[in-house]
Amino acid sequence: MTETSRVQEWVSRPERGSPALLRLGVNTARGLGRPVARLLLYPLCLYFMLSSPAAARASGAYLRRVLGRAPRLRDRFGHFLTFARCLLDRVFLLNDESDDFEVTVHGEEILREIERQGGGCILFGAHFGSFEVARAIGRRRRQDLPISLLMYEENAQKIRIALAAINPNLATEVIGLGRLDSLIMVADRLKQGHFIGVLADRNVDGKDLVKYDFLGAPASFPQGPFRVAQMLQRPAVLMAGIYRGGRRYEVHFELLADASVIRDGSWLETVMTRYVSRLEHFCRAAPHNWFNFYDFWG
Amino acid sequence: MTTDSSTLNASEAELAQLVVETLNLDQAAADIDPDAPLYGEEGLGLDSIDMLEISLTVSQRYGVKLRADEENNVEIFRSLRSLNAYIQAHREP
Repeated sequence: MTETSRVQEWVSRPERGSPALLRLGVNTARGLGRPVARLLLYPLCLYFMLSSPAAARASGAYLRRVLGRAPRLRDRFGHFLTFARCLLDRVFLLNDESDDFEVTVHGEEILREIERQGGGCILFGAHFGSFEVARAIGRRRRQDLPISLLMYEENAQKIRIALAAINPNLATEVIGLGRLDSLIMVADRLKQGHFIGVLADRNVDGKDLVKYDFLGAPASFPQGPFRVAQMLQRPAVLMAGIYRGGRRYEVHFELLADASVIRDGSWLETVMTRYVSRLEHFCRAAPHNWFNFYDFWG
Repeated sequence: MTTDSSTLNASEAELAQLVVETLNLDQAAADIDPDAPLYGEEGLGLDSIDMLEISLTVSQRYGVKLRADEENNVEIFRSLRSLNAYIQAHREP
């Protein structure tokens, strides 16, 4: 069987177990409320840390790089706990309960300027902090602000199921890469002024990877999302939603580079160097927000 | 008019040349099987970024817009031959 037909088969197969489990999790979180659900995260995280040695090893290796010293137990536990807390808060953020959080936003004027000019932009996030809080900010600012998320087909399927369980209004905002016209859809939506979010740090599918120094050692980053911005001549904007403890989040938007301005061969090098160095900056500023629990430098 | 289905007619050859140049393929335009799948592992093995690039180039060269809300995209982009047929039917005179 070819790769493509395997993917198609996977796509057409209905998922059963996980949506039910997910709904249970979501309903439990809502039923208990945020404060009680947060207490439950302590034993859950401890269990996850002990039962997932590969994730714990990856976390330890990352922490050693970002902290520049051997991580202590409280660093390791804090890393897992931050991940779990962000995950839990997604339930509340997705339900348009973002008013319950204290969110400071930096660089919002960049989005305003892009909206003013018409035509959307690509928001480059990472598996870092809460993408959801940034999205919630967009919606709070303007109810009809069109934001779509672009992701690998398998993830898109999972996220659609998750969204359907939490807030069905948002399910159409996910674009999977599994169709031949997925990116033609991105082009159409950008033209209509949409903001397209993409998490550009994962290197798992092994295509079009380039190595950049990241926290002291070379790591692979995918060129694909940056090439799309170049082809469509749109601005590339960095987006980071950092969890700062308690109810506090900090959202940053930064213009990485504008592909309608840089039109020569230096685009990829310029924009990717900037993306990686800003990601590194935010990792150092808020180390526990890094949510790639696999060997990122492997 | 050629009767051999594996050879390219004039407009197909032009499109094949355009695709090879746009995507920097390691393949001579004349060697492209017009009926081979464009997208996916078989045939030309193009991915969705390649398809976007083709759609942008086709729009520039022929003035034919390829849109995501077109329901027949799988048919249109099936092969070089089907894409060319769509372009020839919709290009500006």
